[in-house]
Amino acid sequence: MTGLGVTSAIGIGVRQFWEAALAGRSGVSKLSAFESMPMEAYRSQVAGQIHDFAVGQYLVGPLAERVDRFAQFAMVATKEAVADSALQLGREDPYRIGVMVGAGMGGMVIAEPEYHRVYQALRPNRVVPNFIPEVTLNSASGALAIMCGAKGPNLTISTACSSSAHAIGLARDAIRAGRADVVIAAGADASIVPLTFGGFCSLRALSTTFNDSPEKASRPFSRTRDGFVMGEGAGALILESLDHARKRDARIYAEVAAYAATSEAHHMVVPREDGLEIANTMSMALRNARLRPGQVDYINAHATSTPIGDVVEIRAIKHLFQRRANQVAINATKSLMGHTLGAAGALAGIVCALTVDSGLIHPTLNYDDPDPDCALPGISRRAQERSVQVALLNAFGFGSNNATVVFKRCLT
Amino acid sequence: MTADTDVALRVREALAQYLKRDVATIKPSDSLRDDLGLDSLATIELLYQIEEAFDVEIPDTDLPSLVTVADVTTYLQGRTTQAPQGAAKPNLPSR
Repeated sequence: MTGLGVTSAIGIGVRQFWEAALAGRSGVSKLSAFESMPMEAYRSQVAGQIHDFAVGQYLVGPLAERVDRFAQFAMVATKEAVADSALQLGREDPYRIGVMVGAGMGGMVIAEPEYHRVYQALRPNRVVPNFIPEVTLNSASGALAIMCGAKGPNLTISTACSSSAHAIGLARDAIRAGRADVVIAAGADASIVPLTFGGFCSLRALSTTFNDSPEKASRPFSRTRDGFVMGEGAGALILESLDHARKRDARIYAEVAAYAATSEAHHMVVPREDGLEIANTMSMALRNARLRPGQVDYINAHATSTPIGDVVEIRAIKHLFQRRANQVAINATKSLMGHTLGAAGALAGIVCALTVDSGLIHPTLNYDDPDPDCALPGISRRAQERSVQVALLNAFGFGSNNATVVFKRCLT
Repeated sequence: MTADTDVALRVREALAQYLKRDVATIKPSDSLRDDLGLDSLATIELLYQIEEAFDVEIPDTDLPSLVTVADVTTYLQGRTTQAPQGAAKPNLPSR
């Protein structure tokens, strides 16, 4: 990993994001009004929104203006990641640069009002012409390729909340398989819109009891957690082969050492309660990296702040790591900005890269009343500092989907 | 038919419709999960239909008390007088 870029509710740009993360600043706020929608009808009224985002502040040209908000987020993050990597894209073989984007929902900002308009006006001949190019899930990966001139493999992975963890893993696999020298791995989602937000409310997946104190609503591992907080954003990571990075003397944040992908084949929206499938996913990833659980220093937990999800993940960690579970550092990036769905894996990957690089572990917000079933010594509401040689990223998605990515300090 | 038995019948009818079963096969003592086979997502879907039918909103915190068909009936009858006290949120969708 040689370049990072972030568009998030706690900062646009890696520097601002990381400062806010280490300081434990929350990006969760009162849900903005949806025009004339009666907001009191939403069970949950908090969200990790990026306020006052104007793409023109970051990108010029018609491409950025003709894609949906989630793709704009991805473009902004990718522009930063490419600059951070110091890659001169124009000097690279374009067919050796790939793009892998994780996206959960697609272009919902254009989709929802357009659905409404067409059904209300009953004028199907007046659908905006750019509707399909904007709404499609792969509009972000397409836009990134056009922006960067990347003519290699161009894929979109949609596995709900684990989408961009898979994007990182598959980017690594593409490089190792020799299909690319460089892959832009990104994740993006922007679906805090009336119907989609209402859908998550109806699913009873969101926090509802902290509507008057939004910054407290995302509280992974806390006894009083009551659901996740919907967020939005994007993360982008530049992955390249070690040879390629060394040849150009690039700064290397960390190595993506291995990746495992599994399905629990169990239930569409609930994990197996014994955590064994999650433990197995982590174990497979570590075996692929030729590492033992005892060598892991840090876990970026999926930890969405749901009652069942957090406890199952900790159960899995205890099962696999045994006594090491009491020593490994663990944090929950979603405590800072809610659950960014398709962007969550990429943002967590960026946190892993920064953590391996700096030895700094951002706090888990609102971990002031630990759930005894989730409590482990390595979770803290304060920033921690320790040498991190090996980091794990966990990501789980609706559809019974699990992913673990292993990161290692790169010994050059 | 009294108001209370009317509620009981409407709850059983809603369940029968959701489960595509004869209403006579659904007993008040049936557990939603263990006897009727509703997992957490199915329970939420059923309660959504009941919210629509009875024009009520059932907060997440009230879900743990709704274990049997009779619990749902009693809950809905109680909603006309006072809001019940909630407990911890049960195993709701999570990923």
